[in-house]
Amino acid sequence: MNRALQTVCTRLFTRPLLNLSSSSILPSTAVGINFIPCAWIRREKLTDQQMRLRYKKLHWHKFYDDKWVQRRGGGWDEKITPENVSFMQEIVYETYANKDSPLKDGPWQRGKFTIDPETIRTGVLGLKLGTLPQWDKRGRKFYVTLVQIIDNHVINYTPPEMINFRTLFTTRPLRRDLHGKVGMLVVGALSCDPRKFTRGYNGLFEQAGVPPKRKLTRFFITPNSAIKPGTPLYATHFRCGDYVDVQARSIDYGFQGVMRRYGFRGGPSDKYGSTKFHRKRGTIGSGRKHKVLPGTRMAGFMGNKLVMMKGLKIWRINTKYNVLYLMGPSVPGPNHGYIRIQDSTLYERKKMFTETNHPPFPTYYPDDNKSKSLDEELFADDIYRFDQPTLTLDDIQVAPLTAPRTAAKTAQKKK
Amino acid sequence: MALSFSTTNKFLLNNQQILRSVLILSVRYKQRGHIADHLVEHHRQSALGKLKNGAAVDAFPPKDDTTKDLRTTPHDFKYVYPDFLPNPIPYLRDRILEKLERKDMFRRRQQIDIPEFYVGSILAVTSADPYAPNRRHRFVGICIQRERHGLKHQFTLRNIVDGLGVEISYELYNPTITKIEVLKLERRLDENLAYLRDAPPEYCTFPFDMEPVKLPPGAGVPLNTIQVPITSTHWQYKWERHDLKGILLPSLPRSVRKAAERFGEPWRQWDIMRQYRTEIHDDDKAEIYEDIEKHKEDLAQYRIDSKENVKITRARPKAAGRKAILDNSNRSNMSTSK
Repeated sequence: MNRALQTVCTRLFTRPLLNLSSSSILPSTAVGINFIPCAWIRREKLTDQQMRLRYKKLHWHKFYDDKWVQRRGGGWDEKITPENVSFMQEIVYETYANKDSPLKDGPWQRGKFTIDPETIRTGVLGLKLGTLPQWDKRGRKFYVTLVQIIDNHVINYTPPEMINFRTLFTTRPLRRDLHGKVGMLVVGALSCDPRKFTRGYNGLFEQAGVPPKRKLTRFFITPNSAIKPGTPLYATHFRCGDYVDVQARSIDYGFQGVMRRYGFRGGPSDKYGSTKFHRKRGTIGSGRKHKVLPGTRMAGFMGNKLVMMKGLKIWRINTKYNVLYLMGPSVPGPNHGYIRIQDSTLYERKKMFTETNHPPFPTYYPDDNKSKSLDEELFADDIYRFDQPTLTLDDIQVAPLTAPRTAAKTAQKKK
Repeated sequence: MALSFSTTNKFLLNNQQILRSVLILSVRYKQRGHIADHLVEHHRQSALGKLKNGAAVDAFPPKDDTTKDLRTTPHDFKYVYPDFLPNPIPYLRDRILEKLERKDMFRRRQQIDIPEFYVGSILAVTSADPYAPNRRHRFVGICIQRERHGLKHQFTLRNIVDGLGVEISYELYNPTITKIEVLKLERRLDENLAYLRDAPPEYCTFPFDMEPVKLPPGAGVPLNTIQVPITSTHWQYKWERHDLKGILLPSLPRSVRKAAERFGEPWRQWDIMRQYRTEIHDDDKAEIYEDIEKHKEDLAQYRIDSKENVKITRARPKAAGRKAILDNSNRSNMSTSK
């Protein structure tokens, strides 16, 4: 969006919203609470497809929003003596040790997992470690990606009434039918020294009573799955055998040509006398249209943008190190990159959750299971565990290659 | 952008394959959404992280700074257990990943005995195959190469069956492998014996009913200094360009020899940086070796436990063996002589 339009929008949207319940002046076509009574913006009715393309083209490279607080602070040489350095570290540690956790009064009242008004749980912020091979019970190999969940805490919760969807800067605009029905949960990962950040940024964590986090992310959830700020999140938030959606910033390949970026075949090598046509795109025109169509694939910057992969199965969970083993080697991003993990939104996978069979809701609390200790490693049903005996595949029935001949046919042959 | 071409096949000269095998060596400086390697370890062990109510960090205490006695780590353990050494590329290294991988490897080694072998040894591998008779497939061959790291470690066996050269590549930690026997333990002069494909067939024919060759106890691994002549008219790779000790090259035209000199890298034996880059830090090696030693102790205990479970009942008392009879006769002789 151009700057002027953006500033106008922020000015408009930050004024107090009209109280719909009291006023009867507004027309009945008002959509939820976020009705903006301003004609020249309302005229811009874009379909969801157009919205997605517009955001995809314009905003993937913007790393911050002007409405956010300044994050990076400090960083200059304060010329502290070595003794004072360790002293300061101790002070920082003690402030957070003595801070009252909001969980002292206990967690918030748990909502109920409902199917009919759908329930959306929080997600979790993890770190991609790398890939490993695993085998299933039939001896077939597949690759898994390990994702570690380090130091996750819930920072903040905003109820649905306080959210204005038009102002929210999202690269993936949320489903229209959820506007006004979802709250926003801010989850942070990797605790850090507060001296690295500004006072404004550190103030975001006052409510939660946790050290400031290196990375924050937001998840849109239904109000029944709200979690109190300050609650830690673990890998056992998910169960083995469940399916998740994964979002991450993909690997940056830089400025790449059309062959690597889109898999074009290019041209022949010099061996066949090809003159100056080896890795080019070729023609860009399209018949009689006297222009280059928008969306024509050409060389450009490849990667380093938000990518989502849906329906990844969780094969194993290691509760000691909080590591998830996700299906496939192609989780986006480089090693040691941030990953957002949420329950899958695929239709078949959402159907698998029922009132009785659902993952820990709203999240996994260690106090629930105090009677029996949690196993260090949890496995899905069909994975081969290495402490099981060798797979002998004796129980696999093999269909014979030739069908057995009937007696009549064999008798005919003998004749 | 640190894209590099995969260097696993060092004989590779085919452009097509080079285009496809691209490996990411390091993260581009403009990459967003990731943290530096040293910060990952810092956060895993940070005191601030452990403060808040069982936050999800490494439960172990941080690595103590006392330098481990490196003399206890034998220098040749990287040859005996090459699968335990991780990929030396720093971008692919992660402490927790390697730890969890090693755990799985040790568990598998408790189920099946994975012996020590080298490139040039003759192995017999039995794997479960639902389509084979008796549901077992046994293959005997000479080990040509060992590649990859960790759970992905593979080795290739070559043999000539009915006049046709056959190479089978096995994953060392594949759960369908029921048995790995070393029929002849030996080493060759090279780490990669792909040149056997262009050698006369008698150099890679091994009978399937070969008897295992027993070495005297305490002997080192014998080195087979055989020089294999390369007699095929068409060579798969240009063997003269690679510094292969175990081959006998035929007389080559002068142009070929000159080209080989150009491609040869005689300075490689003095290239310290290259050696550093292909190996990992000694502290990491010591950590791995500690785990291997612990696994060996656990293995001994596991074998005792599993034997106790399986009780062998004897109907008759065991007949006296030859040694017992000799001892008895000796004792009677001694007693009579005294």
